[in-house]
Amino acid sequence: MRTGKLVRWGVPVAAVAVIGAAVAAGPVIAAVGADPVLPERTASRLLADAAAAARRSDGPPPMSGTVTKTASLGLPQLPGGPESPAALLSGAHEAKVWYGSHDRLRVALPGEMSEKNLIVNGEQAWLWDSSSNTATKIKMPAGEGQPVTPQPTDLTPQQAGERLLAEADRHSTVSVTNTDRVAGRPVYQLVLTPKDPATLVREVRLAVDGETYVPLRVQVYAKGSAEPAFELGFTEIAFEPPAEENFTFTPPQGVKVEEKDLGSLRPDERSHEGHKQEDPPVKTVGDGWGTIAVLPFDRASAAEGEGRQVLDSVLAGATPVSGSWGSGRIVKSKLLTALLTDDGRLLVGAVTPDRLIEAAGTR
Amino acid sequence: MSTADISAAGTSTAGVSTPAAEASAAGASAAGTEVLGQAAASARTAGRSGGVAAFARLLGSELGLTFRRPRNLVMLALLALVPVLIGVVVRTFGSDGDAGGIVAATAGNGLMLTFVSLYVLVPLLMPVAVAVVGGDAIAGEANAGTLRYLLTAPAGRTRLLAVKYLNAVVFSLALTVTVAATALITGLALFPVGDVTLLSGTTVTMAEGLLRTLLIVGYVTAGMAALAAVAMALSTLTEIPIGAVAGTVVLIVVTQVLRAIPQLDWLAPYLLPTRWTGFDAVLRDPVATSDLGQGLLAFCAYTVLFGSLAWARFTSKDITS
Repeated sequence: MRTGKLVRWGVPVAAVAVIGAAVAAGPVIAAVGADPVLPERTASRLLADAAAAARRSDGPPPMSGTVTKTASLGLPQLPGGPESPAALLSGAHEAKVWYGSHDRLRVALPGEMSEKNLIVNGEQAWLWDSSSNTATKIKMPAGEGQPVTPQPTDLTPQQAGERLLAEADRHSTVSVTNTDRVAGRPVYQLVLTPKDPATLVREVRLAVDGETYVPLRVQVYAKGSAEPAFELGFTEIAFEPPAEENFTFTPPQGVKVEEKDLGSLRPDERSHEGHKQEDPPVKTVGDGWGTIAVLPFDRASAAEGEGRQVLDSVLAGATPVSGSWGSGRIVKSKLLTALLTDDGRLLVGAVTPDRLIEAAGTR
Repeated sequence: MSTADISAAGTSTAGVSTPAAEASAAGASAAGTEVLGQAAASARTAGRSGGVAAFARLLGSELGLTFRRPRNLVMLALLALVPVLIGVVVRTFGSDGDAGGIVAATAGNGLMLTFVSLYVLVPLLMPVAVAVVGGDAIAGEANAGTLRYLLTAPAGRTRLLAVKYLNAVVFSLALTVTVAATALITGLALFPVGDVTLLSGTTVTMAEGLLRTLLIVGYVTAGMAALAAVAMALSTLTEIPIGAVAGTVVLIVVTQVLRAIPQLDWLAPYLLPTRWTGFDAVLRDPVATSDLGQGLLAFCAYTVLFGSLAWARFTSKDITS
């Protein structure tokens, strides 16, 4: 009787174990299942190969997949719904991507019982928002949509790679691993570890597909936490041409259709002249990972409406600090620290609060 | 439960003359199990086809009880009323203002009412109805003092549990179909009908829209069946049916609250209610099969986990009432 009872209760315990293992170790099993066998590459060789692959064809190969962004910056909870821009600073967001060629692209942002879509096909683009039932037709200027990649045409890939690496080498230790997988594909991981001890960034990892050299994931690790503070990357990917239907859009019946020229979507370009004098002069202190941006900041007129709310709620949780330069309030997240001084300066950097307070003293 | 408890409970109901009651009145729970074991053995010797027929008969009588019970019928009727209400409101007051896109789309296509209705009912009201039936399954019998009699029949506890669970699953299906069907009829009656616009902005034919509705009904039923397993597990823990029902409802409410806390975002994918509204994956183009698959896997995991808990508890507990 006793053992029978034990055996019976063993069944749910086994169920818990199996489900727990499946949930926790799913990615691990995928990683262990077949060790990726990528030939070893030095950092400069990898960058050279990537640059060569970028130049060889017109952009990355056709693909479709799911991109997930996860941010756990340790920021205080910001007001505003899940649709507000502030919500992008925390939590996970998902987008589906279909990429045919440099001028054929579809990006879908699924929401609960809603979906936003951007469909680019040649010189025409559509924005579809199911929650407002509107389709916006956007005229793309000819030639737009070309990938805005650096064109180091006067350099061989090898030189470009070396130059990039030399730049990175000044401030970071660079290493390459070839044993990881992203979205089931073997990748090279380029790991940049900052040399500056004052920065909050422990390391930045860039995963590049082992076959196509398409960047598949970027992760930023903060000091003192094992999970990445910020991550953007593919969780599913297939390097196959997506179905053609993805790039065609016909506005459904009974839907508001708006038309926009791409010019009108960029108000900053037209109004740029008038604002030029008001552009805050941004100064920087320090270099590399310890760079601190110093900009004038008038709290009263800086933000209105929702921005104001966000600012107030952030400042409410800020720590008051003071030094020989005066006093101010400091907001710390895992990756970024910001100091708003009472004399109207805003200092932002991926550095420790001490470094920021120190920098506030240097005018 | 100790043997002393058993004998005390057994004596208090010793007036009832059944083999199981006599056995427990004798003060030995082991003897009771023996009787059940013999019953199960005799059922096994009756042959496979006989077993299946007995199972079907038991399920049939169980379904008959469930669908004749006024309480369950009232729940079905009330939930069926919701789509009608939504339809009439949208029809009367229009869908202008801040109405969500999918509600606005209802005015343009009757089929959308099905999706809206399920979206409204799936987070709380339908689960409550399923919790009532699932939570009542074992505890209800125990409370009415009929569980002993059921177990004296040559059915076996595992089989009885399976019948009770299947009964709750069929109720879940009936509930989902009722809601979807009333929504469909109301939608067809009140709104224009034609091609269906999906969330992705693609238009599909009416026939494909109906096909997708069927997929949604299947998905939602699976979600409710997973909840039925949870309710059933709670039902084996108590002899007071309202306790099991209330426990399940509290669990639903607590998980819905947990989902609303942004700091616990990482937890949300593992909670059952997160997956219930996942049927919107069917309304995308192409159908988000991976999301759908993950939802179904989650339902499966919940069903297996709580089903096995219910089984372990029910087959090893001493039945005293």
